[in-house]
Amino acid sequence: MPHPSRDTAVNPDIESLQHAMERVGYVADEAIATAVFLAREMRKPLLIEGEAGGGKTELAKVLARLLDTELIRLQCYEGLDVNTALYEWNYPRQMLRARLAERDGRSASEIESLIFSRDYLLERPLLRAITRRAGPAVLLIDEIDRADEGFEAFLLEVLSDFQVTIPELGTIRAEHVPHVILTSNRSREIGDALRRRCLYLFVDHPTLEKEVRILRLKAPGATEQLTREIARFMQALRRRRLSKAPGVAEAIDWAQALVRLHRPHLDVDAVEETLGCFLKDRHDIDDLDRAGIEALVGDARRIEA
Amino acid sequence: MTTHDDLIVHLARFGAVLRAHRIGVGIGDEIDAARALTLIDLFDRAEVRRAFRIAFKIRPRDDAQFDALFDSFWTVTRAEAPPPEPRRAARIGDTPPRARADGDVRAVGVDDGRRLPADGSAPGYTRDAVLRRKPFEECSARDLAEMERVLARLAPRWAARRSRRLTPVRGRGLPDLRRSLRRAVATGGEMIALAHRARPLDDPKVVVLCDTSGSMDAHVKFLLAFVLALKQIARTTEVFAFNTSLVRLTPFLLPGKIGHTLDRLAADVPGWSGGTRIGESLMEFVRAYSQTFLTPRTVVVIVSDGLDRGDTTLVAGAMRAIRSRARRIVWLNPLAGDPRYEPTARAMQAALPFVDRLAAAHNLESLERILPDLAA
Repeated sequence: MPHPSRDTAVNPDIESLQHAMERVGYVADEAIATAVFLAREMRKPLLIEGEAGGGKTELAKVLARLLDTELIRLQCYEGLDVNTALYEWNYPRQMLRARLAERDGRSASEIESLIFSRDYLLERPLLRAITRRAGPAVLLIDEIDRADEGFEAFLLEVLSDFQVTIPELGTIRAEHVPHVILTSNRSREIGDALRRRCLYLFVDHPTLEKEVRILRLKAPGATEQLTREIARFMQALRRRRLSKAPGVAEAIDWAQALVRLHRPHLDVDAVEETLGCFLKDRHDIDDLDRAGIEALVGDARRIEA
Repeated sequence: MTTHDDLIVHLARFGAVLRAHRIGVGIGDEIDAARALTLIDLFDRAEVRRAFRIAFKIRPRDDAQFDALFDSFWTVTRAEAPPPEPRRAARIGDTPPRARADGDVRAVGVDDGRRLPADGSAPGYTRDAVLRRKPFEECSARDLAEMERVLARLAPRWAARRSRRLTPVRGRGLPDLRRSLRRAVATGGEMIALAHRARPLDDPKVVVLCDTSGSMDAHVKFLLAFVLALKQIARTTEVFAFNTSLVRLTPFLLPGKIGHTLDRLAADVPGWSGGTRIGESLMEFVRAYSQTFLTPRTVVVIVSDGLDRGDTTLVAGAMRAIRSRARRIVWLNPLAGDPRYEPTARAMQAALPFVDRLAAAHNLESLERILPDLAA
């Protein structure tokens, strides 16, 4: 962010949200806390974009924990369709019921209304989020950029009215409007219409201070020295030209790995052995030779001394 | 007028300023921003900025510009002075008044057409760029119509990849239980005929990077016409022009008259017919757009003669980055039509290891031949 500033927000609502999030295991900077706060208050979906491993999905989980409600997750992929996202009819049961009703001499229209009723409906994530009776759920629509554009248009309709129309049943309206979080790794541009429907947050790689706080929280077994060295190492590494810059998730994995290996601080051998924790691209691993590691480790440790 | 009403007026003006600088915000975003303002601390400038960024949905690539506009706009407003009129940025689309640009323009344009800018650089808006409004009248309507006809004929063969989504079809494909059951109701639960679903054909995904520098002058018109025709078939096609800098052309490519669009492009794109910096331009693409527009299905088409005086290590770096994200790279070189052509230009040499196919692009026939390579 071009405007780094204080650690905590001034607005008491946002500040307390920030603290609450940290208590359930998520280090949120002011931008993230403000976004979550506004999304909650304005009842609008929040679209989060950013690099992989930046904690986008985690944010939804934390929100569910914070609001003490159910997290309903829809993982998007290419080819995702309404039947997987919204609802599907329970065909085997329907077929069975139709046979029985036929034997009882029911008329065709009777049978139809019988088998196309709520009892024979399998609820998929979107419908479940809408029909949940016990208060609003957190609906996580993960990696929306992987779904087809057609699905995006469909989603737009659901998110604007929070009602769905099932031809055989009619319109189902939301019992409670869920808190919606959409994430995207920006593998493609999200349509303007959908973006407009949401509030928008871009999660960048964390600052050094934030990364240290995250590591303290997520890898409590690490010594303070190790934590700071890892954070500095990651910051320096991200400034290099990499095919796939490591995210916070990688930093956490790495810290936990080093804790398992009982390393009180970074050294060149330990880094070399555990490169795979944070570099996930062959070119990047090839490019980082021993001299490069020595330089990075040296920098990460020098400031400490 | 209450303070809050004042604020709303300023907010609307700020929205207009953002729009004038091509940061796409709509009335809905302004409403979101207004609602957000009621929820936050108005006297905390940093918080207002953050809330605006969230409510106006500012993309990271617009961050710097947004910050600058926010600073200049909201400082003045605070001092109770009227907010400044949206300052027009010197960039694409902002051509000076016609009266000045007409008249002598053509003569200068013809004079300068083949000459590189003195230092080979000068990216962005220059007076020359405006003066070089290239008339595309040589491009006959018949040529363009012919091109569209050929492409339309080839399209079905070209778009041969099937989607993973299923849509109803007649008589072949996978059984569609839902529709089958609905039909079965009429026959007392007995399925007499199955309904089917199958995968429809997918649009190919193409990103075109077109060199519009002076050395490409003779070919550019023709090639862009091809690209525009391409876009009629593959609607998601993204088009960029580069010379000393990179410009995304897609928003300019309106459906309808190709000739007219080309005229507008020549008028609007800075540095049209100037020098080339292939490496810097490709790097700019990687940095600003590759995340958004490159997928494992995308075919990247680079149209350039590879004549460049810039840094070739940048060319190689950018090509590697593109290669790792895209499905295929096709390099169209107008010079390659000559049977004696050897890819000896330095930039071409640097790029070659990452190119899946180097092809000629000097006539329609040569373009027709590369169509299979563009399939998704």
